[in-house]
Amino acid sequence: MRSSDRVKAAINFEPTDRLPVIAQIFAHTAVIAGETIQEYVSSGRRLGECQIKALERYGCDAIFAVMDVNVETEALGSELVYRLNDYPYVQSHAFTRSTNLEAVSTPDPYTAGRMPEILKALGIMRREVGDEVLVVGCVLGPMTLATQLVGMETALYLAIDDPDGFEKLLDFATSVIIRFGTAQIEAGAHSPLVFDPSASMAVIPASFFREFELPRLTQIISAFQSAGASAGWLHIAGPLTPVLPVLEQTGANIFNFDYCVDPNEVLSLKPQLCFNGNIKSLDFEIAEPEDIFNESLRLKDLFSVKGGFVLSSGCEIPPGSKPENIEAMVAATRNGR
Amino acid sequence: MHSLVEALLDGNQARSVAEARRLRNVGAGIEQIVLEGVGKAMEQLDGKCTIEQFNLLEIMLVGRAAMGVIKELFPQGDSGIPARGTVIVCSLEGDVHDIGKNILKMILTAKGYKVIDCGKDCHVDKLVETAEQHGADAICISGLITTVIPQVKTVKELAGKRGLGHIRILAGGAALKQATAKDLRVDFVADTAFDGAHFLESAVEKKGLI
Repeated sequence: MRSSDRVKAAINFEPTDRLPVIAQIFAHTAVIAGETIQEYVSSGRRLGECQIKALERYGCDAIFAVMDVNVETEALGSELVYRLNDYPYVQSHAFTRSTNLEAVSTPDPYTAGRMPEILKALGIMRREVGDEVLVVGCVLGPMTLATQLVGMETALYLAIDDPDGFEKLLDFATSVIIRFGTAQIEAGAHSPLVFDPSASMAVIPASFFREFELPRLTQIISAFQSAGASAGWLHIAGPLTPVLPVLEQTGANIFNFDYCVDPNEVLSLKPQLCFNGNIKSLDFEIAEPEDIFNESLRLKDLFSVKGGFVLSSGCEIPPGSKPENIEAMVAATRNGR
Repeated sequence: MHSLVEALLDGNQARSVAEARRLRNVGAGIEQIVLEGVGKAMEQLDGKCTIEQFNLLEIMLVGRAAMGVIKELFPQGDSGIPARGTVIVCSLEGDVHDIGKNILKMILTAKGYKVIDCGKDCHVDKLVETAEQHGADAICISGLITTVIPQVKTVKELAGKRGLGHIRILAGGAALKQATAKDLRVDFVADTAFDGAHFLESAVEKKGLI
């Protein structure tokens, strides 16, 4: 069974030859390839090469064209500080509370900042693996992009002090996301992952999610599906339980869940949805292979009856993680009980 | 005092400040407003905040309203009310995320602690020096990224070498709260800012170290 078909079968609750497994490894692929993180996040070619090498090493069912969470905000004018062996961070944000968004255009993915490098990476990866393995791009979700554009505190206070202004910011972010994600699909992504940690209940209340974030996520997923995405993939790391029942409304086909969410809550959802998760990310750095293997088997057993599950970490596996821990997770899908 | 508590819990800074002014005008004491107004609001927020119900937006709004009231009551900055303890907060070198630290600072200030903010991207040497300089009772490290973990592990030992072994070391934040206190070689790993505050109250205050 091809890796991509294995994941698609899981999404459709169809039988698979074995449990699909993905490793959310981004800069980690650079670390094991002996490359600097700075080079990884700056070069689409280098990113593509590192992801392909990691695929050869670990044998997972998906590869990811993900640099860091600052690609969109940089393309819009945020200044970043780059570091040799760590992800870049925002030094000054592109927008302020009083930025006139009507005067700002959405960035052109083919020319703005590092967006073209992401597209290049996707082209390289897709040419290499074809339809054998899922090639996954990445865009931020509206809430996360809004916080990246003005800063987390500014965004949250804006939501209350100027709700109209905040909604305009979310709408602008949605336009950026749709344009970038659509370009990713054209460049070779089977699906862009919509990465939205600022939409979890660690940041906003459930009511806020339902009113402001849910309609926009739905719009984004729909746009990607119209553009030819194989699946809609929503990734919100953090506490999510209060909004699990409404996730279906986004139209996404697969949802990431983190260690904060009890797998039994996911299993009891009606109608059933396909999820990936939820091994604690830090454990790949500090735990032992046996721990990862046993946790993988536990999840495998838990979801074995209902299906609709892809084994993974709950969020990015840290760059400095032990390769043997990732191998243990994959091994659990091959050699487990 | 009920109107002040309500305004604070609504996260309405303007109404909270106006209410604090009104209470002063009718003769309420400053300490009374802090303890029975701000303190009560923080207590109720604390009770509401569990892992499932802790969100930054609501905490920040209440915190902002509380800071507004405190600034209204103490425009010069010094309350004159004895602090419950002195706490250093920071994000360590390489970590420029400070929202968790800022939330903790607001909550601890509203709860009556003296909080010294070492900022983000802070070197461990500077952190321990600051703790020594201010006679701190606790150090709170907020960490959003895992790459700070090696530094976190050195803080307690470094403090001990400077004769500051009595200082409690707390860690929290999205990355650090995935680890145990033993993993990080700290005294406590907090799930939320209120969780950290509870530890300070029980482990530090009740042992008479403050």
